Amino acid sequence: MRLRILSLLIVVASWSARGQNLENADKLSTWLYYQFVPNLTWTTFPSQTHFAFEWEATPLLYSFGINRYVSPWYAFFVEPPARFSGSLEFSVSGMAYTTKPGSSYFGSSAQLIAHIPLIERGEHLALNAGIAKYFIADTSPTFYFGGLSTLFGFLHLNLKYSPDPRIWMTSLEFRFF
Amino acid sequence: MNPLRMLFLAGSLFLTGCSSPVPRFFVRMFSQIGDSIEPVAHKVAEPILPDVGLSVLWVGHATVLIQIHDKVFITDPMFTNTSGMLAKRIVEPGISPSSLGRLDFTLISHIHLDHFSFGSLDMLPKNGKLILPFGGLDYSPEFGFSETRELKTWETLEEDGVKITAVPVRHFAGRYAFDTFWMRDRGFTGYVIDYKGRTVFIGGDTAYDPEFFKETGKRFHIDLALLPISPVEPRDFMQRFHVDPKEAVQIFEDLGARIMIPMHHRTFNQGFDPTPDHAQKFLEEISEQKGLRDRILVLRIGEQRILEN
Repeated sequence: MRLRILSLLIVVASWSARGQNLENADKLSTWLYYQFVPNLTWTTFPSQTHFAFEWEATPLLYSFGINRYVSPWYAFFVEPPARFSGSLEFSVSGMAYTTKPGSSYFGSSAQLIAHIPLIERGEHLALNAGIAKYFIADTSPTFYFGGLSTLFGFLHLNLKYSPDPRIWMTSLEFRFF
Repeated sequence: MNPLRMLFLAGSLFLTGCSSPVPRFFVRMFSQIGDSIEPVAHKVAEPILPDVGLSVLWVGHATVLIQIHDKVFITDPMFTNTSGMLAKRIVEPGISPSSLGRLDFTLISHIHLDHFSFGSLDMLPKNGKLILPFGGLDYSPEFGFSETRELKTWETLEEDGVKITAVPVRHFAGRYAFDTFWMRDRGFTGYVIDYKGRTVFIGGDTAYDPEFFKETGKRFHIDLALLPISPVEPRDFMQRFHVDPKEAVQIFEDLGARIMIPMHHRTFNQGFDPTPDHAQKFLEEISEQKGLRDRILVLRIGEQRILEN
């Protein structure tokens, strides 16, 4: 049921999102190209650390910092100011570990992230805070996290913590859209 | 070099796609980040005048405070110490933003970091309107201006007797490098302000075009043209996006304007001009050669000139 409601929300938001106005092929192809750039993630379990590449996409983002003349809803295609000027983002990710943390090399996540602008409307520095549900190493821990973004919202450094099971995750993220 | 500087350097190279001469330019900017900023002596404390026909105050870079009678305009406000995160000012702004009690119109010529400065816009009074080029709204946080509008080329905003028309210029508009691919035909403009018989052309940032400025000159009787004159070097690279002083004077002539005031020089280290006043000296030579010294007025940063009482 919850999945259906979420799916419906995403469809409605996608329809209304200004981010869907992909005016030309260059915009779409650039977006597609940058989706291949992965985040770098280190997952630290009590006994070992595993490195993973993580690909992140944004099915839904609500910007409370963008001007009042454009739609605050974005789906997948998110112009950087919409995110770093203040937003609430729902993102999903897929992970590929270089060493097996459990029975599989792969993982996934769903995350809810608040982006709070700190300097120059967030273009120079913004605060990230959120909650994430990960599916890794045969477990599904809930992480609480915080971090910073800089360089026009491109570079994010987030520290995530799951109390049970106790796992730390450090991620260096490259967000172009 | 410390690790933080190395990280910034690597980021700069990455963001610019490592295409020469842009990385060299970023390296040059980075090396100047610790330099001190030259102060402006005798800043105008009250730049908005009680009664004036047409006055101009060059704040620095492309920031010009224009007053036509009771209406006050500012172009491309840039009051922060850096443009983006790296390019350091050479000279401080010619006025304090707190001295601006009101602004009727804030005009943004294009969305580059040195013309559409979020931090600078936050310093300004918000009673007036913010005008952006077409495509600019996607990049604009909510600053709290009474209204924010974007104008397409040849589109005119009319308000309380003021007409502001977006006019064509030749430039490009990607703000974050990767968006340059689809911002080739939007996100940049020039403007013509027309109020009570005074007409001002604002060039923003432009390369030369043999048609655009002649067409604008046909449509408007321009009293004052505010034109960029730098960066000049390296010419092969810059001429695609930026006029040099010789081309700026050609635009001035194409427009058929009465007076030209140069801007977009002296404030930041741009391109590879050998000295910050390289473009100004070049312009003064040309205006001398063409006998235009009385029509091309070179202002100091912070200087206010009353052109009509």
